[in-house]
Amino acid sequence: MSEKMPAGRRKVRVVVLGGGTAGWMTAAGIARLLPDLADVALVESEDIGIVGVGEATLPHIRGFVETLGIDEAAFMKATHATYKLGIDFRDFGRIGESYIHPFGSFGEELRGVGFHHYWLELQRQGLARPLGDYSLAVAAAQANRFRPPAQDTSLASTYGYAYQFDATLFGPFMREFGLSIGVERHEGKVTSVDRDSADGDVTALVLEDGRRMEGDLFVDCSGFRSLLLGQELKEDWEDWTHWLPCDRAAAMPCSHVTDDIRPYTTATAMPAGWRWQIPLQHRMGNGYVFSSAHISEEDACEAIVGAAEGKPLADPRILRFRPGRRRNSWSHNVIGVGLASGFLEPLESTSIYLAQMAITYLIELFPQDGAIDPRDRAEFNRLVDMEYDRVRDFLILHYHATTRDDSEFWNHVRTMTVPDSLADKLELWRKAARIEKYSDGLFYDASWIAVYVGQGMLPERHDTRPALGNPQQLAQATERLREAVLREVGAMPNHREYLRGEAARIADAA
Amino acid sequence: MSAPRNPCRRIVVVGGGQVGVLAAAALRQAMPVSQVVLVGQQPNPASFADFAPTSLPNSTSMHERLGLEESEIVLKAGGSYRLVTRFQGWSAAGEEGLFSYGETLDPTLKTAFAREWGGTRQLGSNDRRQGSIAQMLAEAGRFAPPPPDQQTPLSEVDYALRWNPAAYRDLLIERAQALGVDYIEGQIEAVEIGEGASIAAIRLAGQGRVEADLFVDCSGPAATLSASHPDFALIDWSDTLPTRMVYVGRPIDAVIALEDRVSLVDTGWVTQVAGRDGLHTMLGTGEGVDRDAALATLGAPALAAINLSSGRIAEPWLGNVIAIGDASARFEPVGPYHLDLAHRQIELLLEMLPGKHIEPLERDEYNRRSIMMMEAVHETLAIHFAARRAQTIFGKRPLPGRVADELDQFRRRGRIPFREEDPLLAQERFALLVALGFTPGLPPAAHNADAAAEEQAHRDFAARAQAAIDFAPPYAQWLASVSQQSPAPAG
Repeated sequence: MSEKMPAGRRKVRVVVLGGGTAGWMTAAGIARLLPDLADVALVESEDIGIVGVGEATLPHIRGFVETLGIDEAAFMKATHATYKLGIDFRDFGRIGESYIHPFGSFGEELRGVGFHHYWLELQRQGLARPLGDYSLAVAAAQANRFRPPAQDTSLASTYGYAYQFDATLFGPFMREFGLSIGVERHEGKVTSVDRDSADGDVTALVLEDGRRMEGDLFVDCSGFRSLLLGQELKEDWEDWTHWLPCDRAAAMPCSHVTDDIRPYTTATAMPAGWRWQIPLQHRMGNGYVFSSAHISEEDACEAIVGAAEGKPLADPRILRFRPGRRRNSWSHNVIGVGLASGFLEPLESTSIYLAQMAITYLIELFPQDGAIDPRDRAEFNRLVDMEYDRVRDFLILHYHATTRDDSEFWNHVRTMTVPDSLADKLELWRKAARIEKYSDGLFYDASWIAVYVGQGMLPERHDTRPALGNPQQLAQATERLREAVLREVGAMPNHREYLRGEAARIADAA
Repeated sequence: MSAPRNPCRRIVVVGGGQVGVLAAAALRQAMPVSQVVLVGQQPNPASFADFAPTSLPNSTSMHERLGLEESEIVLKAGGSYRLVTRFQGWSAAGEEGLFSYGETLDPTLKTAFAREWGGTRQLGSNDRRQGSIAQMLAEAGRFAPPPPDQQTPLSEVDYALRWNPAAYRDLLIERAQALGVDYIEGQIEAVEIGEGASIAAIRLAGQGRVEADLFVDCSGPAATLSASHPDFALIDWSDTLPTRMVYVGRPIDAVIALEDRVSLVDTGWVTQVAGRDGLHTMLGTGEGVDRDAALATLGAPALAAINLSSGRIAEPWLGNVIAIGDASARFEPVGPYHLDLAHRQIELLLEMLPGKHIEPLERDEYNRRSIMMMEAVHETLAIHFAARRAQTIFGKRPLPGRVADELDQFRRRGRIPFREEDPLLAQERFALLVALGFTPGLPPAAHNADAAAEEQAHRDFAARAQAAIDFAPPYAQWLASVSQQSPAPAG
C-alpha cells in the first residue's frame, strides 16, 4: 500500500481506543474515506461493556451510511431498523399534552413571512387546527404511515427520515464493515499510555500482555472513562448537570404490544426525567432517563417496569452518564469522539449524530502527513464546541418550557437560570415570535417552533402581516394545505406494511 | 394568546437611488397598510449600490418579490447577462482565472481539479480543463436565460443580470408608484430625536415635518439619518482594505459579452462591466497614486473621482432607524457586492419587519445578522487584496476576521469553512480563490479518488457542456432579437 504514497510520506497510524458505536464508526469512517492516508487499528476489550448509545437517530445518519458505501437495506436488516419521522413528546409542557417534533417543516413561508406567524394569527381568531396538522411528517407519523420522501419539490418532498435501530447491533455491524475494509482489530485492555517526553504527545498504548500499540494519531472512543483525553491528558470537562440534571438511564427492552410499528420515537416526561419508547422491527426499546438527585436507581427501575407496555424482555439495566463536554475535544494528538468528548442525553437522538459530526470534521481536518497543524486542531475544537452548544440549548428548552410543578425535578428545571445564549432566544420568541437564525449545526427554525408551540410557550406578539388579509381566506388557504397533507398521508402505506413489503430487502428473516 | 403587532403607521425611506426605491417598494408591498414615504434625492455617485449596473444572481429573488420580470429589465432597462468574471493579474501580471456562479461543479471534478492543479498549477497555460458549463458557454458566446419552469440543458447555469442604472431606477420608480409609495423630493434640514433615542420626525427644507414610526436610511455614505443618532459609530476598515480613491469612467461603446473583468494593474484594480449602454469601468487606487496616472489607466472620461474611507456602521439598526446599503457599509466596488448587500439587508428587514413598537431583542438579532453580512463582504474583499500581486501593489495588509484561517484551510486542504450570511456559495468562494490565484490543497478524502470515476465525471461534464452549447443560441443574436422592440437607452 505504501508505494502509492508520494516519496517521503508514510501513512498515518491511527489507533482507535474503544470498540463501541463511536469507535467502530470512527475506524470504519477513516479506513473507508482515507485508505491511502491512514492505517487504522482499533483496540477493544471483550471485558468492557459498551453503552450502545442512541437507538434512535437523526436523518444525517443516512448520509454517513451512504458515504461509507454501505447499502441501506443491508444496514437496516442487520440492525432491525424501522423508519423514523420524528419524536412524539408527551407531558413535557403540561401533563396530558403532546406534540411531534418532525423531520420536516410546518406549512410554507408565504410572502417572506414564516408559516407560524399565520398559524398564530389563525389561532387568535379561533380558526387554527393543531400546528402538526400542517406538517406532512407529523400527520404521517400520527397515522403510522411511511414512505420515503419524493425527490422533487412537491409537498411529498417536505420531510426527511432517520432510523430507529438496535444500538447493540449497530456497533457490531460497523465492526464487521470496518474489518472488511481493513481495520485491524486488537483485543486487550490498555494498562498504560506512553508519551513523548518533549511534546507530551501520546506515542503508544500499552496493553495488559505488554503489546505496544504505536500510533501517530489516537482517537479516544473509550466512553465516559475517557482514558486518553480525560485520564491521561486531563482535559477539563465542562459540566452541564445544572442545566440538564438527568444523569442515569434505566433501559429495558420489551415486546411489541400492538401490531402497529410507530414511525416515530416517543419521549414521555416522567416525575424525574422522561422515558423513551423506540419501536424496532422485533421489539420496543424502553428506558427511563432520570436525575439521580431526584429519584433513586431502584425507584427508577420500578417506574420503568411499571410504565412499560409490552412484556419485558430483560431486567432494567442502569446506565450512568454526565452531561457536558471537554473544553478541548482534540488535544495533542488525541481526538475524543463520542462520550469521551462529550455527552448530551438522548432526548433528541443526537448521540450518534455528535459522533458522526466529529468523525466528519476529523476526516476533513485529518493530518495528511502525520504532523498535526495546531490550526486544524483549533478549527476542529471550534466546530465541535459550536455543535455541542447548539444542541445543548435546544435540549434545555424542552425542560425549561414547561408549566409542570408536580415534582421537585420539574420545579428545578422550570425555574433554573438558562445559558444566556438560550435566554435571548427565548425572549426573542416570546416578544416577537422570531427564531435566532443560523445555518450551521443542528436544529433550525421548524425544530424550535415545534418545541415552543408544542410545549405551550406561545409568544406575546407575532408578525403584523398575517392579520392584514381576510381571515376567512387565510383559513381557507391553510385548510387546503391541511387537505393536501391528508391526501398525501392517505396515499402512504402503513409503516408496518411498508416494512413488510420491503421485508426481503430490509427485514431480518429471524 | 399571541396578538399581531400593531403595524407602523408610516415608514420613511430616505434616499432616492435604486436602493431607496427598492426598499420603499418592497416595504410598501409587504405592508400595504403602512404609508411608505420616500424622501430625498438620488445620492451622489459615491453611493456605489445606488449606481450599480449589476448585482449577484441573488437579485432574482428581489425582482421576483417586486414582480419585476427579467424580460422587462432586458426590454426597458438595457438588461444583459453575465456568466463569468475574468480575474486578471491578481497573482502575477499575465495570469488570470475565470469565476462563475453556482454550486454546479461535480464534487469529483472539484477533487480532480484540486489534484491536477494543486501545487503544480501552471497559471496562464492553455491546457486547463474547463471549470464550469457557464465558462464553456461564455467562451462559445452562446446563451439565453433558461425558462424557470422547464428543465433544459441550461437550467443549472447560474447567471447575473446587468442593466443601465438610470433606466433600471426608472423601472423601480414605476413599480414603487404602482405599489403606492409616496414621494417627497426635499432636503433634510433637521432630524428630531424623540424619546428612547428614536427619531420622531425629520424636517424638510420648506416642506415641514414628516413623522414616522420607522426610518430606513438609504442615503448612501452620508448616512444622513443614522449619523444623527446619538449612538452612531463607525468601525474603520481602512487597515484591511487598501483602496483610497475610486475613479468612475463614463460608459462609451456598447459591449455585448457574457463576461466581465476584474483586473489588477500597476496603478490599482480595474473593473469592467459590459453593458448595452457601454462599458462601465472603475479604477481603484491605493495611497499615493498620482491622479493623472489613474486617469490614464481608467482609459475613459471620468464621471467621478471618489475619496473612499472604508468601514461599517457599528450598529446598523439604531433606535428606529435602519441603515441599508452604502449608509451601512463603505468599501471598494471591486465586484458587485454593494447592491447585493443592500438586497440582502432589505430581505432581512422584510423578514424581521417590526411593528410600531420595536423589540430591542429583534433589533439585536437584526444587527447580529446584518453585521455578519457586512463582515462577510469585508472578508471577501480582503481576500482579493491577499492575492500575491495585490500585496505588492497595495502592500501587505492585516487579514480581518477568519480570512487567515480560510486561506490556510484552502491552501492546505482545499477546504472552505462555512460562514453564515456569506454573499457567495461555498463553491463560488472556491472559484473566486482559484481565480485570484490561490492554489487549493488536496482534501484528505481526495487522496484516494477513483481515476475511473473521475474520468467518467469528466466525460459527463463534457457531454452536459456540449448539450448546453448545442441548446443555447448565439448570445448576441438572441439579445438583439429580444431587445429590438426597444433600443437600449443611452448611458
